Amino acid sequence: MSNRGTQLILSVVLMIFGFMLALQLKARPAITANISYQRAAELTALLKAVEEERNSLREEVKQLRDRLAESAAGLSREQALREELSKARILAGLADVKGPGVIVQMTDSKKPSTAGQDPNVYLIHDDDVRAVVNELFSAGAEAVSINGQRFVATTEIRCAGPVFMINGVRVAPPIEIRAIGDPETLDSALHLRGGVIDNLALWGIEVKVKREEEVLVPAYNGTLQFKYARPVKAEGTR
Amino acid sequence: MWMILGGLLLGILIGFHLPVQIPQSVARYLAVSVLAGLDTAFGGLRATLEGDFDTAIFVSGFLANTVLAALLTYAGDLLGLELYLAAVFAFGVRIFTNLAMIRRHLIKRLAKNR
Repeated sequence: MSNRGTQLILSVVLMIFGFMLALQLKARPAITANISYQRAAELTALLKAVEEERNSLREEVKQLRDRLAESAAGLSREQALREELSKARILAGLADVKGPGVIVQMTDSKKPSTAGQDPNVYLIHDDDVRAVVNELFSAGAEAVSINGQRFVATTEIRCAGPVFMINGVRVAPPIEIRAIGDPETLDSALHLRGGVIDNLALWGIEVKVKREEEVLVPAYNGTLQFKYARPVKAEGTR
Repeated sequence: MWMILGGLLLGILIGFHLPVQIPQSVARYLAVSVLAGLDTAFGGLRATLEGDFDTAIFVSGFLANTVLAALLTYAGDLLGLELYLAAVFAFGVRIFTNLAMIRRHLIKRLAKNR
């Protein structure tokens, strides 16, 4: 211990030790403040409690739904069913429906095709029709038909040479799309700047929208046979 | 002796006043290293009292123990094992043993002086 060199070395070593100690002491509050160390158990307990509460609430919802169904059955089961059925028939497109809406006329371009230009771009294509129908539905249309073909869940709009296939039926331009819904909303949705009609106008395809007080949309007249799809028995009211 | 304590104080002061915050991921390694350093320090004190203190052994023990402890912790993290507990346990036991020996030596010395 008397040696001066030894003392110097020991001072340096202890200085390093003190430095480490100080750094660690500075870092310690950060560790104890860390959620993962301190509050994990607390949060776990909280989560468990909330999950239990959720489960009991789920049970309650189920019971209330059962009671609601019972009371509805007690009132007039037949009438409820009939109403349900008529709604379902409209949604499925199995009933003629009428109401306010729009009639959209689409005709091929009358622009003279210039030499070297693909004449195809001046014709109405399946995706043009799809775009219009899609826009109508997104604007709240409740029933749509294309040249008398009701648009249902299985409806296809497909290019088939010079014509379209819709519901398995050949449909040729000019196209008449009938839609039931709020006429103003439907009309303005189609006429949005940069929207469907603007795009089609680039190619000279004429789209005319007429607002109507009463539009008749015919029922789907295809077959209603399901070879592959089978309903799944719903479990309870969940 | 005062020089050594001065070194320790200097180190602590530098550590506290240097605007360096070690990241939390490293804090655990440093904690184990500090424990190893503490163990070496008490070991050195005991060796001094027993009269067989060796500077080379002390310095090499200090460096090797701190680094090894940190490495052990890191290896434990890699394996997903709380391996640093082994270091904590080993150093903890040794610190207590050393303290007990130091206490005995001091008491003996006091008794002799009386």
